[in-house]
This record gives sequence, C-alpha cells and structure tokens, in this order.
Amino acid sequence: MNIVVLVKQVPDSGSERALDSSDNTVARASADNVINEMDEYAVEEALTVKESQGGEVTVLTVGPAGATDAIRKALSMGADKAVHVTDDAIHGSCAVQTSAVIAAALSQLEYDLVICGAESTDGQVSVMPALLSERLGVPHLSGARKLTVDGTSLKVERQTDGGFWALEAQTPAIVSTWDTINEPRYPSFKGIMAAKKKPVTTLSLADLGVDAGSVGLASATSQVLDFAGRPPKGEGVKVTDEGDGAEKLVGYLAAQKIV
Amino acid sequence: MTALTSSVPTDVFGADERDVIRQFVDEKVRPLAEELDLTERFPAEIYAEMGKIGLFGITVPEALGGAGASPLDYLHVMEALSYGYSSVADQCGLVEIVGSLLAAFASPEQQAAYLSPLLRAEKTCAYAMTEAGSGSDLGSISTRAVRDGSDWVLTGEKIYIHNAPVADFAVVLAVTDPVKGKRGGISVFIVDLDGQGVTRAYHEHKMGQRASQVGGLVFDEARIPGEALLGEEGRAFGYMMEVLAKGRLGIAGLSLGISRAALAAATTQALDRQQFGAPIAANQAIAFPLATLATELRAAVALCTDAARALIGGDAQAAVLCSMAKLFASEGCNRHVDAALQVFGGSGFIRGYEVERLYRDARITRIYEGTSEMQRLIISRSILPRRAA
Repeated sequence: MNIVVLVKQVPDSGSERALDSSDNTVARASADNVINEMDEYAVEEALTVKESQGGEVTVLTVGPAGATDAIRKALSMGADKAVHVTDDAIHGSCAVQTSAVIAAALSQLEYDLVICGAESTDGQVSVMPALLSERLGVPHLSGARKLTVDGTSLKVERQTDGGFWALEAQTPAIVSTWDTINEPRYPSFKGIMAAKKKPVTTLSLADLGVDAGSVGLASATSQVLDFAGRPPKGEGVKVTDEGDGAEKLVGYLAAQKIV
Repeated sequence: MTALTSSVPTDVFGADERDVIRQFVDEKVRPLAEELDLTERFPAEIYAEMGKIGLFGITVPEALGGAGASPLDYLHVMEALSYGYSSVADQCGLVEIVGSLLAAFASPEQQAAYLSPLLRAEKTCAYAMTEAGSGSDLGSISTRAVRDGSDWVLTGEKIYIHNAPVADFAVVLAVTDPVKGKRGGISVFIVDLDGQGVTRAYHEHKMGQRASQVGGLVFDEARIPGEALLGEEGRAFGYMMEVLAKGRLGIAGLSLGISRAALAAATTQALDRQQFGAPIAANQAIAFPLATLATELRAAVALCTDAARALIGGDAQAAVLCSMAKLFASEGCNRHVDAALQVFGGSGFIRGYEVERLYRDARITRIYEGTSEMQRLIISRSILPRRAA
C-alpha cells in the first residue's frame, strides 16, 4: 500500500509567534519552526498502517527551503522518502491555492491512502483534506480517532463531541486524523541516521505544471488585511477585605457578568 | 544559560538526537519520577521506550545493535536522563557497561543470545561483583566456579546487585583458580537468573534512586554450561578495566544531571517564593549559593567533557581523568542538592518536593562505581607514582 502523509512546517505553537508587517504573512524567522504537531499523529498512523499492510510511506510537504527540517523529522520517525514542493511564487498562498499545488503533486505520485493532520497550528483553516478530496475526486474520511485498514477497505471512527461516527470507504482515499488516534513514536537514533540517506525529491511549480500566477499572495482568495498583538494583561483588581470582602467579590463578578 | 537544557556537548549525536533525548526526558521521565520514587517499582514502560529510541548501548558499535556513538555522547545521555530521574539514567549506565563487556569479549553466539536482546530492551541484565566480604577489594571475592565435565558449577552469594530482582541474566565474577586469585584466577560468566540453583535473595529498600532494583543473588551449586564463560578463563580483571573508566564517566554524567535538576528547582523556587514583599532571589543569601552551584556545575561539565574526550582519543590518562570527573561531579552534586534544598526551607524537607528526592538520590553517587576514596587513591597514585600513596 502506497501511503502519502502530508506534513507542514509551522512556527512552534509553544513559542511567541509573529506576522511579518510588510505583507501580513507568517514571519518564519520569528519562532522555531517545527513539524505541525497534528502531522506527527498522521505520520505515526501511516507507519502503523505500513507495518500491518506493507508498502511505502512518502512524506509530502509544500513550503520554503527550511521545511526540510519537518521532512527530516518524519523520515527519522520511519517514513521511506519525501517530496518537497518549494517555489518562491507559493509565498502567501491561501488554502485553496495550496490545495491546487498539493493535488498536482499527489497526482504525480501513486497513492492508495493520503493521511494528514486534521488541522495545523498556524492558520487553523482546517479545510485542506476536504479541498484535496474535492480536487482529486476521492473520499475524505475526516477527523479520525481510529483507522482500520484491511486491503483496500478503510474503516474510520470519526470523532465527534458526543462519540463517533463509523465511516467506511475504499482506497484511494484521504484520512485526516486527530491527536486521539495514537501516540507518535520518538525518532530512534538509528532512524535519525537513516533519515539522512533517504531520498527527498524537490519539485517546483513548473515541475508540477502549475501556473505560478495562479498561486501566491497577489491572487489569494483570502488575505490578512490587518493584525494586532494581544493587549497586555491589565493590572487586575485587588479586593481588600474590610469585613465586606465577600460582598465586594460578588459585586465584581456580577459586574463582569460572570455570576 | 538556563538550567533547563544540558550544557554537556555531543560528539557523534547532533541536534536531532539531542532533541529526542530532551523530549523523552521531559515527556516520559520527569513526570514519572515522583511516583517511581514512592513505589520503588521497575519502570518497565520507560525501559521499553529507551530500547526503541536507541538509548541502550550508546558506545556499542552499530553492527552489534548499539548506537555507534562515543563516550561523550554517553556522558550527554547520562546527564540528560538523570536530569529526569537518576534511576532511569542508572539503567542506561548498567546496560552500557554490560553491553560494552559483551560487545568486546562475548562470542558471536553469546552476543546473539544476550547482547542483541539486551540492547532492544527485550532482556534486562545485572552486573554481579560485590559480596559481603568484597567491596572495593574485588580481588577478595569468594564466589567459586568449578569445572564439572563440560559445565561449571557456581557457588556463592552476591549482594547489592543492581537489577538482581528483575534481571533475566547477570554477568557474574567468580573465582576459577584460588591459587592464582586476582592474578589470573577470576573469570566472568553470563548466568541466566531463572536457572536451577539461582535464587534472587532479597530486595533492598534504599534511601535514594529507589526505582533502581537492588538485591542479592545466591548461587547454590548452580550448574551453568561451559559456553557461559565470557571470553577467556582468568581474565576478569583485564575485562573490567576495559569498562571501568566508562562506568565512572557514566556516574559522573548522572551526578551532573542531579546537579542541574537541583539548580533548576532552586532557581524556580528562588524566583517564585515571596517573603518580605519580594522574591527570595532578591537576597544575596539565596542568590550567591546558586551562583556557586552554577559555577561548580559548569566546571564539572568541563572536566567530564575532558575525560570523555580522553577516552575517545585513547589517552593514557583517560582512566585517571574519569576518576577525577566522577569524584568532582559526585561530590559536587551532593553539595548542590544540599544548597538547593536550603533555598526551599522547610518545604525541601517534605516528600513530594523534587529537591527532597534529589537530596536522597545524590548520596549514592559518592559510593557506587568506586567510592570517592577509591577515586582519590587512583588519582594520587597517578601523581605520586613511586610511592604507595
């Protein structure tokens, strides 16, 4: 079974992140850039499927040159090879444009199963798997908390607020995963060494036959017009108890419409 | 400079390996330390994960299933694991020493049966030297191995053996020729601990590093096959010399990890704890001991790094440097946990505070893998070669 995992490099959600004031896109130099956390679960699931079904796991990413760090993380966890689509013209692309690039790359790969995280921690648009499903004409089993693969048949438990939906489909298909689906493995030292020798194919928009004018900030379907930092925390209110502390507290909470 | 990251460099390992180690320690080791200390249980889940990552056999060649890295990487790993919990680092250290012995001296058959599964965390090991009458003076051991046909018959009792209660096999020192004694009369055997005539005698309850399983092993005419002999008969001391320095470097690294954990706990407390309207860190009485701790820790890291590089380079002084590193780092970490505890005041005396556990965990570092006194003996002999110092 040929499995493609979609991986995105994002600014570390645990660090201070910023937007670039010149074009309101992510300032990549402002934070450590790491593999999107949800994608680690997708990689783990792909490796688990490979272990039970055989086949090959290919990592696919669209991003600047530095995104190779995220690719290497996935390869060191055990993926077999990677495709890195990188082109300056992609900078500032919206989800719709990016999905056209990823779909073009997937069309050049042989895949039975595409696995991706249900969302990324930067844009959190969370529509990529659905967009790809539409473009490629394959089913999308979304928000999986459990995936069972048996030959060409797929069963997914789709996580909901109250429980789960049972979904079934045949390959080829796209499965998006939540962080409830597994516990990603740590890359082993052997895996880290091996990853350095695994093939990474770099493709440009021209290689994919995608018109450079159809992507990028200038023709994006959505743009960030303005942004502002979170206001600093206020001083807070200090209640001094002079025998009426409880009344003052309740009065404050009532004024804030908390009680 | 922050106490939250290791200042011990690596050699073969790069940023990716260091990231995995740090992540593993932060996510899997540190959160479990308090519970492991309380229950004294063997951390089987951590042990299995360590095998998967490749934390067993850091300096064992890749072809034999190890990480193929160097003593400096081993020092880094020991420091980093011990920052999480010293009992976990101790497990790594034990496998490193037994693994190094098996890598260097075991037959291919022995390596397939013991080394490979050990490094994959499918087997656990022990290293059985100490006896009631034989501690620092290893030449005085009395456990006997006597040939009987193609077998050996093993009789004797080992005490304070790390992992004895849980190990699948032990590397056991026994006298094979009482006349030659320590000059060619002591051999090493690989003994399955579930075999006939072998008893796990008791389980010690210790002051610190309580998740490290320590107990006794009794061999009552235990019949072991001829191929259980490691390497050649009578070569035990030579084999042990090969791994002794690395073992001491490992405990030096473990001591550094305890020091760093103490520094991290104390600096956090000094900044968080308010007295007289300000963080107690504002008082030089609190801040200066921490400055001393940080300085001594950095010096210890430098000495340990120096010793590791000497081992890598095959320096003739490597063993002495490893003794110096072990002495300096272990004595240091005992001062450091004391200084850190003082910052906590009464809280530092209460179970549940990390610094209270560190205070107990540190004490054994001045004793195992050669006491501070034995390290000073080794060092003094290197600088006073003509005298029986």
